[in-house]
Amino acid sequence: MPRRLHRNSPLLSRTSRRRFLQGSAAALAGVGLSNCGRTVGGEAETAPAEADGAVADKASGELRIYTWADYTDDELAKQFTEATGIDVKIDVYDSNETMLAKLQAGGGDSYSLIYPSDYMVTEMIGLGMLTELDKSRLVGLDKMREKWASPVYDSENSHSIPFSWGTTGLLYNSEVLTTPPTDWEYLWDNREILARKMTMLDDVRETMGAVLSSLGYSYNATDPAEIEAAYEKLLDLKPSLASFKSFGWQDELLSGDLLLSMVYSVEGIPVSLENPTFKYVIPESGSSVWTDTIAIPTSAPNVDAAYEWMNFNLQPRVSAETVERLFFATPNGEAMAMISEDLLNNKNLFPPEDLLAKGEGIAPVGEANALYDEYWTKVTSA
Amino acid sequence: MKSASSSKGGKARLSPPSWEAMLTLAMYSFMYIPIIILGVYSFNESRFGSIWEGFSLTWYRKLLGDERLFLALGDSLKIALCAVGVSAVLGTLMAIGLSKYRFPGKSLYLGISYLPLIIPDIAIAVATLVFLASVAIPLSLWTAIAAHMVFCLAYIAIVVSSRLKGLDPNLEEAALDLGATPTQALVKVFIPQLSPAIVSGCLLAFVLSMDDLLISSFTAGDATPLPIEIFSRVRTGIKPDINALSVLLILASGLIAGISEYFRCKSERI
Amino acid sequence: MAQGVSPAGALKSAPANAGQKIRAILRPLGLLGPPGVWLVLMMVLPTLLIGELSLVPGLRPGQPIEGYGLLNYLRILEPTYLRVLQRSAMFATGTTVLCLVLGFPVAYWLALKAPKRWRNFLLVLFILPLWTSSLLRTYAWITLLRPSGVINLVLSSVGLPTQNLMNTHWAVYIGMTYSFLPYMVLILYASLERLDLRLLEAAADLGANPRLVFWRITVPQTLPGIAAGCLLVFVTSLGDFVVPTLLGGPTSMTISRLIYNQFLGVARNWGFGSALSMVLILMVSMAIALLLKYGDRNPEIYS
Repeated sequence: MPRRLHRNSPLLSRTSRRRFLQGSAAALAGVGLSNCGRTVGGEAETAPAEADGAVADKASGELRIYTWADYTDDELAKQFTEATGIDVKIDVYDSNETMLAKLQAGGGDSYSLIYPSDYMVTEMIGLGMLTELDKSRLVGLDKMREKWASPVYDSENSHSIPFSWGTTGLLYNSEVLTTPPTDWEYLWDNREILARKMTMLDDVRETMGAVLSSLGYSYNATDPAEIEAAYEKLLDLKPSLASFKSFGWQDELLSGDLLLSMVYSVEGIPVSLENPTFKYVIPESGSSVWTDTIAIPTSAPNVDAAYEWMNFNLQPRVSAETVERLFFATPNGEAMAMISEDLLNNKNLFPPEDLLAKGEGIAPVGEANALYDEYWTKVTSA
Repeated sequence: MKSASSSKGGKARLSPPSWEAMLTLAMYSFMYIPIIILGVYSFNESRFGSIWEGFSLTWYRKLLGDERLFLALGDSLKIALCAVGVSAVLGTLMAIGLSKYRFPGKSLYLGISYLPLIIPDIAIAVATLVFLASVAIPLSLWTAIAAHMVFCLAYIAIVVSSRLKGLDPNLEEAALDLGATPTQALVKVFIPQLSPAIVSGCLLAFVLSMDDLLISSFTAGDATPLPIEIFSRVRTGIKPDINALSVLLILASGLIAGISEYFRCKSERI
Repeated sequence: MAQGVSPAGALKSAPANAGQKIRAILRPLGLLGPPGVWLVLMMVLPTLLIGELSLVPGLRPGQPIEGYGLLNYLRILEPTYLRVLQRSAMFATGTTVLCLVLGFPVAYWLALKAPKRWRNFLLVLFILPLWTSSLLRTYAWITLLRPSGVINLVLSSVGLPTQNLMNTHWAVYIGMTYSFLPYMVLILYASLERLDLRLLEAAADLGANPRLVFWRITVPQTLPGIAAGCLLVFVTSLGDFVVPTLLGGPTSMTISRLIYNQFLGVARNWGFGSALSMVLILMVSMAIALLLKYGDRNPEIYS
């Protein structure tokens, strides 16, 4: 039996010494890397945002906003800069989850404002990613309609202010689709006509919610059996879908590549107003009624400018004008008084109470979130 | 010497072009037709490809007024120029060092230097993101530059290495014999000889950096290099000013390719 | 070539031997140190890191790392995700075959049949699209392939039925072949250019018909080039992100897109994403190992 050499013996051959060195280097690396309980990603530790209260009262500098594509336009930014002198730079995202992913990956440290949807606000408060708002600095929060005075997703509007609300529905080409859709089931029933000419939202909660609704379940189901049933049904429809698209379906719909799209009201209504061939319909069995908010992330660099922007958007006049241009419904009661008759009467933009009652707000589902994500990844990978 | 083709041609049929020539022509068309179509549509007045509404420069004008695109272009150029600049130095030094010296672990070093070329972009991007997140470095233009330096280094080193193999080994020795210090020999002998290869490698790395989507998506944070901007626009629908942008970028790349080719030919003639 | 024995050198080496020794170590260190450190820091260390994270089941950003396990890898073995891997491999293989079949005649013609003066220019002309943004080249295909696109315009004007090729596997094959064909042609050209034409002549003189000459001489001689080209195209198309995303639609999820979704998309499962990345690196390494095994053969043994 070969004599076991002591590790440090000079008689050790060169190769085994090299192997030992490599092994110990790897071990050291392993030890260094695996401090238990260490976290990767998440919000970066930043010093509390400089309030600059003592020295400069006026906010200045640059304001970076991370928002949805259809909530700001150049006109709004220009008006703001004229009013306050702060430069605005806007970046867009196409779903709440991508916004959260970016913030958690460390890429969102220069944004002072984000526009999370209702359920995302609750989630982000839970993750400690939103700063508590100093109400004394906000003007006009009391003008919100009753439903948004102290909403379910953020009591007392402590971390966010409601900005817009709307519904999710179906936008379709009424010339080709002579029997109009009235409900989600339409997609499954007409999948031959619609083969590869329809899209659904690239949004896990919205699309899964719509399928759950078509099965008679709640948008916020937590029962694994229900979620799995929705997954199976969606999987069944998938070969007939052209793609999952939240934004950018306009060109394809207008040019005839698509016949039907699941859309947010804020995107669907302008198209239907411009071109009567396309009609927007809210499914009867119930659709999602969402609220989008403005919030300040904890890593915001320019909090003063953020408050300025919030106050600017809370002004009823500004709110009303933006609605006229961008077609989202505002929760601001005083602003509504300033909006033109046509828009106020638009049943799609401001749905009547009974339709709203059928709609559901998307709420956080806690533990079931992982289940939704898993099934969504499976559906998109199949 | 008589080429095989002529002897083959001797017993084969003449004039009709061989099937290889026809297929080659077809492939050239395959390569260029999409680009030509982009070009044609960039001059189309209509937003929709299916209708031709007349020749116009609207989209080019719109492009020139698009501030976001120019900001994105600026970000891309900053990243590319910084990354390539530093990598040119590091890559050249690495190539020279690898060709001159032998040391224990050289093959390991060599292997590591090839890694950026082998490992797919997505894996590099993910690894870098995770690394930066672990060390809690916030993502920014600088992290993108740091990440780009990795593959720029590798490509420049490869291009310079292949040129180094063809260099005359006696020149350095002659310089040393004549009293130059090794550093002087490096600067005054190696670098001038290698410069066409260095330039060619830099151009290659520059183009790769400007075109990179994945690594920038993961490491640039809120900076938006051009490919990311284009990608998000393409995903949210086809806008004809992207057609105009494509034409301009393709012309620019053609120019860079031409310059790079010129340098490559020059280096081979030395 | 004198072996370092020169009067100047001899004069220098006598005194300050220690100083020279230090400099002898410093010089290679100065050349190889900084790049080496950078590569280790930004390349090796991160890869080790994702290797570690891949062993943390269901890791979300911001969560503390505790509890290692193989769950992420086991999840990859589920049929849905295995199919994603299979699909990526299928796209990669199909693209490689298409590029080889389409690219070889082009390289052959360029290297052997094209007029000598124009060879370099023609080659550069073919390679030129590689220098342009791959994103834009793929975008160009959207304009062609969509239902209201150019291909259907042409088809309908000739009376043929229109196709909806967008968001299908075919679109991905077309897009990938388009992107990577120049690579294949470039590598094959380099190999074919070095072909010793006398061998071809000799075979022809001995009575072999062109087909025999091609299969018995040309192909074996260029086998290393073929292998290298195939490897490059395979590896690049395996990790490709842009083409499946823009042209592929929901039925063409590939491993690259899946990984992307785990980090920057909805899923936010960094552990699973890391595991997928490690598997991708493994697949690429296997392909390279295959190449090293078969591509290393000495071409002369075939003559």
